[in-house]
Amino acid sequence: MSSVKGYFGKLLYIDLSSGKIEKRTIPEEDLTKFIGGRGLGAKILWDNLKKPGIDPLSPENPIIFTTGPFSGFPVPSASRTCVVTKSPLTSPVRSTYPHASTITYSNIGGFFGPELRFAGYDGIVITGKANSLCYIVIDDERVEIRDAKKFKGMRTDAFDKKILEELKDRRYKTVYIGPAGENLVRYACIIHTSARAAGRGGVGCVMGSKNLKAIAVKGSSQPNVANHKKFLTALEKARLTLQNSPSTKYWRNYGTAGYIVKSSDQGTETVRNFREGTFPEAYKIGAEAARRDVWVRDIACLYCPLACKKSGRTKGKYGGIVHDGPEYETGVMLGTNLLISDMAGLLKIIYNVDDLGIDAISVGAVIGYLMEAYEKGMINKKFLDGIDLKWGSVDATLKIIDKIAYRDGVGELASKGVKALSQKIGQGSEKFAIHVKGTELAAHNIQGNPPRALCYATANRGGCHLNGDNAQAQNFRAMIDSTGVCLFPAMDNSYEEPIISMLSAITGIEYDRAQFLKAGERVFNLEKLFNYREGFRREDDWLPDRFFEDAFTIGPKKGAVLDRAKFRDMLNQYYKERGWDTETTKPSESKIKELGLAKII
Amino acid sequence: MKENNFTRRDFLKLYGAGATLLLANKFGIHSIAWADPKKKSLKMVLVDYSKCTGCRTCEAVCSAYNNPVKINGENLLGLGNPVYSRIRVHSFNPDVDVPNVCNMCPDAPCVKACPVEPEPKTGRKAIYRDEKTQTIQTDLSRCIACGSCAKACAEQRTGVIELDPKTGKPRPICNLCGGDPQCVKHCPFNALSLVEVKTNRKFYGQSPKKIATELAKKWYGVSDLGGLK
Ligand code: SF4
Ligand code: SF4
Ligand code: SF4
Ligand code: SF4
Repeated sequence: MSSVKGYFGKLLYIDLSSGKIEKRTIPEEDLTKFIGGRGLGAKILWDNLKKPGIDPLSPENPIIFTTGPFSGFPVPSASRTCVVTKSPLTSPVRSTYPHASTITYSNIGGFFGPELRFAGYDGIVITGKANSLCYIVIDDERVEIRDAKKFKGMRTDAFDKKILEELKDRRYKTVYIGPAGENLVRYACIIHTSARAAGRGGVGCVMGSKNLKAIAVKGSSQPNVANHKKFLTALEKARLTLQNSPSTKYWRNYGTAGYIVKSSDQGTETVRNFREGTFPEAYKIGAEAARRDVWVRDIACLYCPLACKKSGRTKGKYGGIVHDGPEYETGVMLGTNLLISDMAGLLKIIYNVDDLGIDAISVGAVIGYLMEAYEKGMINKKFLDGIDLKWGSVDATLKIIDKIAYRDGVGELASKGVKALSQKIGQGSEKFAIHVKGTELAAHNIQGNPPRALCYATANRGGCHLNGDNAQAQNFRAMIDSTGVCLFPAMDNSYEEPIISMLSAITGIEYDRAQFLKAGERVFNLEKLFNYREGFRREDDWLPDRFFEDAFTIGPKKGAVLDRAKFRDMLNQYYKERGWDTETTKPSESKIKELGLAKII
Repeated sequence: MKENNFTRRDFLKLYGAGATLLLANKFGIHSIAWADPKKKSLKMVLVDYSKCTGCRTCEAVCSAYNNPVKINGENLLGLGNPVYSRIRVHSFNPDVDVPNVCNMCPDAPCVKACPVEPEPKTGRKAIYRDEKTQTIQTDLSRCIACGSCAKACAEQRTGVIELDPKTGKPRPICNLCGGDPQCVKHCPFNALSLVEVKTNRKFYGQSPKKIATELAKKWYGVSDLGGLK
């Protein structure tokens, strides 16, 4: 066990080219400096990719699954796993490296990360490429690479059931890709429990490039904590805090879907390919409607008192779907963004997207872009393989999703993301190709929300809505993603203090809020340095023209539009606060030193 | 907490009046026919499946309470490794979660199945009903690791007995935490209650798979349950 408490200090290294399996010790300093999850993942990626420009789909690019110091302890909502790799989806405006791309860190709830810790590992690093489709089985010390040829092409819902039959033990926790990942759709995701997704940045695509269909893990141990008694006290407080928090009640009742109607009412929803912030029919696919017509159960991730996941079944024309959702992101990106307000149709779309293993956010933005280009006559029906891709059409949406997952016809280009599509289609469509650094933006629209615009523009994995609206929020969230706890309860300020004291008790390193944020800042800066090395500069922290030109025409924020000069000023302020060069966005020497990153880079 | 709100005096008063108590509380309405107070009553942890979210907090708190650690001479709760929990949450696809815990069967098929001779003094086999807690406990020093108890429980009732893969002997079974069930206390969704054993209760003594199959039919209209075996 590690000399740093709260960890095993052990990584599982698997090279799929040679089949070599190793257990490696994590340097003590990596644990104390980068904590776990997203931070530790960034450090491992940095160490493994010694130079910029490496093809993310080459065997060299590692795919890293990390846990945090909370994982496997009964900390409320400590359910998350972080998947870190070099993204196959992103690219800079210009760079000397043809394969330049950003880091990506995709976070998934459920049970996988904690189980990985029960098996005795703080993370898995997978490199190489298997000769044919394979999967990895981890049972405590025993690790095997097994043949997965018979699962080739299997969709995720069927696979979720099949793999447990194969393993004959329900206690295995599994993550896997669907057809989209196998087919190298650039924004393929990794699925867990047939509905939870490590969605963003193409982590499923990288998994597919390694011929890796799945990982199954089960285990029986736990690491130690530094201060047992202090941990128990902090844990009790954490439980009570969440149990008594009004936001816990809200999450239980509505999940993220509660925001579908609220956000529309506020004018902050992604509607009609980011053209509007309000969708008058949002109520048809909102939480109230779902509670009435679809949801039958509230589902929680490990040790989570929020239970924000909702599952149920649909009736009507597209009925018979048994799945979870709509959530805010899936409901908006595949619903309001496409002007779809048929609940059962929406659920069917969400089910298919998960079943094929595609990121719901990116694919929603891709389809929104195509609908708009089609409406404007920039592409015709022939370009779309005969699909009449009109706003609001569930059938057309379902068809195009299939095309994308199998990279068939128009799906070939569409599988590369909205940036690649707009470069090909041209005709000024770049203006409404909604991405930052190649990553499609999410369900929060920004004409009337400048801080969220900054959030998207400055996220290290490209257009990410969870990045945080200012430097401090970003540092905080980078740290949350590093501990293994879920962001949702941590959005409640009252949970901050228990989180920090549990971290102190587990690791034996005394954190106060400032130190906690400092550690997050270190993580954020290391990611930034990775991107900078790849050639990402200030011009890459910029938004599509739509947000500066197309003012909302409806809703409470009617007339809202971003102002280029003001947004530039906001960014200047942000870089100054970060200690980065305002011209290039390069982190300053003094900042690098202050964060203890000088030795590493 | 739950039934514990009723004091022993209320209990006797009601019993004395020969009443059947209707308990309307968070887990619905249950009629509780009180057992003869001279005989010790059997109690069990009852699950309200419609409230269970599959969060597994019950596993962690059960393990923590029943596997305490001694630090600087002080007995403290353990860290809650779920492997050592006496309640086990079984999850299925589509989303159905079934916490499984000993149903304290009055006829105890597990005990009946144990081939070990009863100890002359105590009358206990290697698996037996503990006099004090009225729960099923094991004497691993006498256990021959035949697995008969686990098999009987799995075939006839809940299948809650897990055999330790190293020793082949049963892992500890629910002891109701000495009267203050931690799982009931800490379930964030109030899905668990301590109740009197009633063998005619719906889902009584059934395996998680059977229960899940019925729930999936009821909630989702599907009978094809994944994640089994
Ligand atoms: S703690 Fe309660 S809600 Fe969570 S799994 Fe156990 S019984 Fe279900
Ligand atoms: S048969 Fe199983 S459920 Fe019944 S008392 Fe024995 S262990 Fe408990
Ligand atoms: S495994 Fe042990 S307790 Fe169970 S029936 Fe056999 S001897 Fe009895
Ligand atoms: S009552 Fe106690 S021993 Fe029994 S399952 Fe609950 S926590 Fe575990």
